[in-house]
Amino acid sequence: MKLLLKHVFSKFALVMLATLYFSGIASAKDLVIMTSLPSMEFPFFVHMQKMLDQEAKSIGGIKILSADGQNRVPKQTADVESAIIQGVDGIIISPIDVNAMAPALQQAIDAGIPVVTVDRYVGGVPGIYAHVGADNVKGGEAQARLIMKQFPNGATIVNLQGQPGASPAIDRNKGLHNILDGKSKYKIVAEQTANWSRDQGMSVTENILVGLSSPPDVINGANDDMALGAMEAVKARGLNVKILGFDALPEAIAAVRDGSLMATVEQFPGGQAKTALNLLVNDLRSSMKPYNRVISLNPITITSENYRKNAERIGEVK
Amino acid sequence: MFKDRKNFFYYLGVLTPIIFLILLILIFSSLHPRFLHPLNIFNVMRQISITGLIALGMTFVIIVRGIDLSVGSLIALCGLVGAVIAKGGLVERFSVGLDTELANPWYWALAGSVLIGLLAGTLNGVCITKLKVPAFVVTLGGLSAYRGTALIVSDGGPISGFNEAYRWIGQGKIGMVPIPVIIFLVFIVLCHIVLKYTVYGRHIYSVGGNPEAARLSGININLIITSTYIITGFFVGLSAFILSARLNSSEAVAGMGYELNVIAIVVVGGTSLFGGMGSILGTIIGAMLFGVLQNGLVLLNVSSYIQQIIIGIILILAVTFDKFSKSARQV
Repeated sequence: MKLLLKHVFSKFALVMLATLYFSGIASAKDLVIMTSLPSMEFPFFVHMQKMLDQEAKSIGGIKILSADGQNRVPKQTADVESAIIQGVDGIIISPIDVNAMAPALQQAIDAGIPVVTVDRYVGGVPGIYAHVGADNVKGGEAQARLIMKQFPNGATIVNLQGQPGASPAIDRNKGLHNILDGKSKYKIVAEQTANWSRDQGMSVTENILVGLSSPPDVINGANDDMALGAMEAVKARGLNVKILGFDALPEAIAAVRDGSLMATVEQFPGGQAKTALNLLVNDLRSSMKPYNRVISLNPITITSENYRKNAERIGEVK
Repeated sequence: MFKDRKNFFYYLGVLTPIIFLILLILIFSSLHPRFLHPLNIFNVMRQISITGLIALGMTFVIIVRGIDLSVGSLIALCGLVGAVIAKGGLVERFSVGLDTELANPWYWALAGSVLIGLLAGTLNGVCITKLKVPAFVVTLGGLSAYRGTALIVSDGGPISGFNEAYRWIGQGKIGMVPIPVIIFLVFIVLCHIVLKYTVYGRHIYSVGGNPEAARLSGININLIITSTYIITGFFVGLSAFILSARLNSSEAVAGMGYELNVIAIVVVGGTSLFGGMGSILGTIIGAMLFGVLQNGLVLLNVSSYIQQIIIGIILILAVTFDKFSKSARQV
């Protein structure tokens, strides 16, 4: 009995091996690209992943191994390590943390795998093949410029910040202050975090509105979710306050179209993803060029005037 | 007034959350002129009613020595199921925009949301009592699995834009009182009566106080424990619906971290994590304490970094004083 089992198992193993071998040959020409985005809990990255998959299909001959970082550095590190062991041809990654992801990516580079970062940077890894991203500081500056354009005579502003410590939160806030600080006509009357979330965007705005003796002219949100929450709070009070978001999610684009949001900021997540993939695949299929290029897409504000032309996800808006 | 030191600490412990609450109200109202404005009071009340409703259920769970970490994720799932029902299927899941015609009226959405909550609560309870897996582990699994299911249902994006009747549940008012507050008040009274004046309520305390003794006295402790998770599931379903009506949107990221807020509310309210002790009134005080704290700190425009420190310190202080009373009672 034991012998028989052994026999069956060895046969089984042989068949498995053969299958693996042949499937290996069949797809030998396919490029295997590992993609790793910070968290599929955020629509921004869900969209980015979709665009990566779509673009890979339209280029052809590419196998995408996608990993979800689940917003945890150890998870993303483990994903990169297993990609190294699988011997992928290239890695496209948006690092969860600017510093903490450096060792894993260095390991990949040491293993001869080109690494392209999208949207978010990694620090202290000189061998990074390329970075494709939109500058969040510039996005915050774009919000501030639009406020100044809409309110040439000055404005009172409520600033809803992102999650404390998150790099986009820090950068977007910095951009806003870069432009508005020192301009006495533009006064930030309240500045609070709503942790990227819609319900906190609403409740924090409610609290702020009660606390102010007169309603602000502008509420500036560091993302669309918080802006959409603020929008509900403002509506409930029947006030006329201009609201800005950030990220150009379909819902925000619809709100801009309907006039409930004044603007949102487009960072072209799909454009970033496509650019990164094309760059990597082209170079892998021809010859690798010198590394460390930075491709920066300029974030722009989306308003009722230009949403049709410039919003990347206008197709998803009904 | 107090016969000895032990008694003093006992009363200090019982009254701690109330003393903290009154102190906070005094401080905030002296620092900000509009803190006691009726508009602000109703703001705070409405904001605490969503976590507060779940905290009512969590009080039952913690009294029987349980814990439910899955409530935050379950909010997202219940809210999305409600939204999908209202929109009439998954086809519309990416629909955006305002004031869309709904395929099904709000009460079907509410029913669906509550049903999912009840099912998840039953699942939690059965796994804990029948499979003998610790509640912490079962609901930690739920925290991950329910969020994952919510992400599948929504495909990562929000479902937004309900009609006026739907939104009214979250945004409407009767007189000056917001609807969520009215719902919250009704269930406060109901839960208080159930816990204090019914046989079922007494069974809850005895299962929490000494499960073995309760079992020997003929109480079906598995049934009692499971029922507390079902109650929590019901409240999660209800508050998920209110939240989506309030925000005019359901999304998979809703309710992130709510589990810890809810547990903090219940514990600050004097319910012992070791079971057998606790009250609905304590939980209400706990909910108000956090609501007032968050509201006041925002009104005073305190930096968000410092806010987190202050909230943490208050949490520890309140529970520290509470421990005095518990140890005094046990000596």
